[in-house]
Amino acid sequence: MDGKPKVGLVFFPAFDWAIAPDHPEREERLLYTRDQIREEGLLDLPEIEEFRPQLAAVEDIERVHICVPSVAKVCTESHLIAAGGTVRAGQLVTAGKTERAFALLRPPGHHALRIVHGSRGFCTINSEAVLVEYLRKSWGGRLRVAIVDTDAHHADGTQDVYYNDPDILHISIHQDGRTLYPGTGAINELGGPGAYGLTLNLPLPPGSGDPELLYAVEHLVLPVLKDFQPDLVINAAGQDNHFTDPLTNMNVTAQGYARLTELLAPDLVVLEGGYSIEGSLPYVNVGIILALAGLDYTGVLEPELPPELRQERPVREEVVHNVAFLQETWASRKEADLERVFGADEFFRRKRRLYYDTDDIHEMQLEEIKRCGQCSGYRKILSFAERYGRKPVQIAAVLLPWHACATCRHQAQEVYAILVSSTEWDYVYLQNPEDQERPLVTVSNGA
Amino acid sequence: MSYLIGIDVGGTNTNGVLLKEGKILATVKAPTDHQNLHTGTRSAITQLLSDLPGKEPDKVELHLSTTLATNAVVEGKGAPTAVLIIPGPGLRWEEFKLPFKLYPLTGYIDHRGREVKPLDRAELRQQLTAIKEAGYQALAVVGKFSPRNFQHELAIESMIAKDDPQLLPVTLGHRLSGKLNFARRITTAALNASIAKLQAEFVHMVQALKAQYRLGRIYLLKADGGTLALQESINRSIETILSGPAASLMGTMALADGIQDAVALDIGGTTTEISVFAGGEPLAEREGAVIAGFPTLVPAFFSRSIGLGGDSVVTYDGNRVTIGPQREGPPVALGGPRVTPTDAVLVLGGAALGNPQRSFRAIQALGAPFGCAPLRLAEQIVTAFAEKAAQVIKEIYQELNNRPVYTVSQVLTGANFQPQKLIGMGGPAVYFIPKIGQQLGLPYQVLPYHEAANAIGAAASRPTFAITLRSDTALGQLVVPELDYAETIRRPFSFNLEVAREEAIRHVLDYAAEFGVRYEPAEIELTEEEVFNLVRGFHTIGKYYSLRAQVKPKTRSIQLC
Repeated sequence: MDGKPKVGLVFFPAFDWAIAPDHPEREERLLYTRDQIREEGLLDLPEIEEFRPQLAAVEDIERVHICVPSVAKVCTESHLIAAGGTVRAGQLVTAGKTERAFALLRPPGHHALRIVHGSRGFCTINSEAVLVEYLRKSWGGRLRVAIVDTDAHHADGTQDVYYNDPDILHISIHQDGRTLYPGTGAINELGGPGAYGLTLNLPLPPGSGDPELLYAVEHLVLPVLKDFQPDLVINAAGQDNHFTDPLTNMNVTAQGYARLTELLAPDLVVLEGGYSIEGSLPYVNVGIILALAGLDYTGVLEPELPPELRQERPVREEVVHNVAFLQETWASRKEADLERVFGADEFFRRKRRLYYDTDDIHEMQLEEIKRCGQCSGYRKILSFAERYGRKPVQIAAVLLPWHACATCRHQAQEVYAILVSSTEWDYVYLQNPEDQERPLVTVSNGA
Repeated sequence: MSYLIGIDVGGTNTNGVLLKEGKILATVKAPTDHQNLHTGTRSAITQLLSDLPGKEPDKVELHLSTTLATNAVVEGKGAPTAVLIIPGPGLRWEEFKLPFKLYPLTGYIDHRGREVKPLDRAELRQQLTAIKEAGYQALAVVGKFSPRNFQHELAIESMIAKDDPQLLPVTLGHRLSGKLNFARRITTAALNASIAKLQAEFVHMVQALKAQYRLGRIYLLKADGGTLALQESINRSIETILSGPAASLMGTMALADGIQDAVALDIGGTTTEISVFAGGEPLAEREGAVIAGFPTLVPAFFSRSIGLGGDSVVTYDGNRVTIGPQREGPPVALGGPRVTPTDAVLVLGGAALGNPQRSFRAIQALGAPFGCAPLRLAEQIVTAFAEKAAQVIKEIYQELNNRPVYTVSQVLTGANFQPQKLIGMGGPAVYFIPKIGQQLGLPYQVLPYHEAANAIGAAASRPTFAITLRSDTALGQLVVPELDYAETIRRPFSFNLEVAREEAIRHVLDYAAEFGVRYEPAEIELTEEEVFNLVRGFHTIGKYYSLRAQVKPKTRSIQLC
């Protein structure tokens, strides 16, 4: 050990912020976690050091999102702190201040999609993506990241942001979408034409517990990570797979989470969901912190832990089967027949309905991804959003990827010019993550 | 109260001061006898009282700052101590690196103070037998989350009182602090138990003095600059650790005028002690004092020590001057072996001390191999001293401004700590403080050297009483751990923040009254206040209040005559 702390803890419970007074995402959420961390004396251990979050800058948000109509209108300060705190955690590790870091903060972010009309799944700004883009900018685009999302809900936001990005591997392990919000994350969602196979989804049947989660990590995540060789591994650590969580139907324990952390050994852990604020979060968070610090976590047991969850049992057959399918898919992803998956057109097009449960917004999206041999291709997104009691909004956005080829740059500008000249759109956006200075997102009011 | 004696039993000397209504009437000094701490104290009191004019009807109040507890802890002179712990699940207690024998018990209180698992009395009896057989003379009892629910600790104490009274007194963790931190609570309670006997002996000695002289109330100085009633110190001796540095800071406050936001440097021969004032009050450590490497929950002033002083060793490589952190002896001017910052000051004519010719020759020899003229090198040394001090001060403020905060509004407030003034103390301060002030762009004030500054600080201090009040209306519970107070909230719907505040203030007043000190409610301040809605299943089921209340810290202002 070279003397520096093993774990940098960016703890920010936002004790003065809630979505609504009775909402699960409320002031009280990390209160008992704070109490448990303090009573366990974790902050006195030489392995652990606490840091203060910072505010994310508007350009940090714009490198990821297109906020409608603007970052200032969509974000509260709490979102900027959660994103900025995650960036802080990333800086600790990349600057070598601590070996690993844990952004233990709220509100969460993994349901925030590329286009943001409001809050969905309690999320507005995708903290992991803000961090990844921040680092990617600092490193001149040369950065490979793996995000392993272990929240019980499918990380549809993170998947959306990195769906077509060849440098970012996104693995989501979650309760089967047929039984839980947001409903996506099926095993055959494998990424866009520019990054096929770099989106992996493992739905777990309701009732799954430590054996299934740990099996998936050992037999799927670790071999894939070894193969992908990322510069940075981020664990988006939702804690709602816990057996006491009120919103899900899973059976993971604090011991399971700690073991997961130990096996995965991520550079960064970022808290996502988890709403069993008394029965789960205090214990799971202490378990994760101890595991990250390389300390003995075997004494961290929940008061309500049912004895049957401590017993060994075989992994569910369905999970073994799905892991085997994904292993095979991963191994053969480079030989996949992309024409069969995405068609032979110049553009891959998809049409989606999206629902913002938190803000009750219905959105319809039309997306086109340019099939380009030189880069991952520019994208055009048309989005129609309706929120009851408000004027519906129609926007168009043109998105350049990192390392866009000259042709895609040129065509993206042309497409943007055409959209701007139309009166059909309330706002038209052009996003280039490689721009060094603002505006990263150019806005034009078509109307 | 008219007459007041302040005594500081320091490492070398015992200083005393006699005050009347804020005016110094007399000071005395005697060497400290470490074998017999009260000898110096007694002779200081005798001398001071002999200066009292005629017969005074009033009794004389005595404030004592002693190294007794500090030395006992640092030198490991406390009694061998056993700790009964109720660890529950969590970080394994076997991982605690504590120099006390820990005896674990079954039982478990959770973060809201609910009993999850009861104590096992048969097991407790076994452990007590083991403790007795091992011959431990001191005993502490500490449960995880005991400030939230101390019934287990109380039950153990009463069982010991009934079955094994020879093991009394036991220190219960919750009485010493309402703050959460199990390992620190174990350390605090164990250290307290280990020095309880020494403290009791000391208290008996001081009480003998009380009978002998015309002494009224007697108080001991605490690490937070407040005082503790002599009798109460038997139960809470650990709070008197580090009272020397506290006396020094209280002396600064009493002697300097108008401290608001300032950084104070006490520059000595070997080290410089740095402390911080914010809003007119000295800043406290976040969790508690660290003594002899042990983190505790004892309230204490914030202070940082650096190896930079008038006698620090100076090295020069032709380019950079490095100072400290070690000391190898006095300045060359006083016959020391190596060049020191004090020698540089002498060469520049800033002071008169020893033989400056020797300083000049030593600095000349240090610079000669690199062709650096002695006067230039002396300037460089003084500048390097100031730069190093200024750098550390900047780092301290950076650290303070990066202290974690847990609300959005605190993040938006940004940097809270900013020094407006530099205050210097200690022998070498007069030479270096102006330079450091220049580096930091701050106005400065060098306090005139006063031999009895610590004794003045002890005299200037006032009693402090602090409590934690926690109430959970969903569970219908209200506790004040420091006072063993637990009550059932009978009307949870009419319990609100106003009621919680009134209760907290009332408890501080009662606590003080118990030791004969009367305060007005306006003299009590709330230092922490947390309120949360408790929501379960989309319904608010109650509220959680956590408050800390204390007597507003104050010092008497002292006039030098």
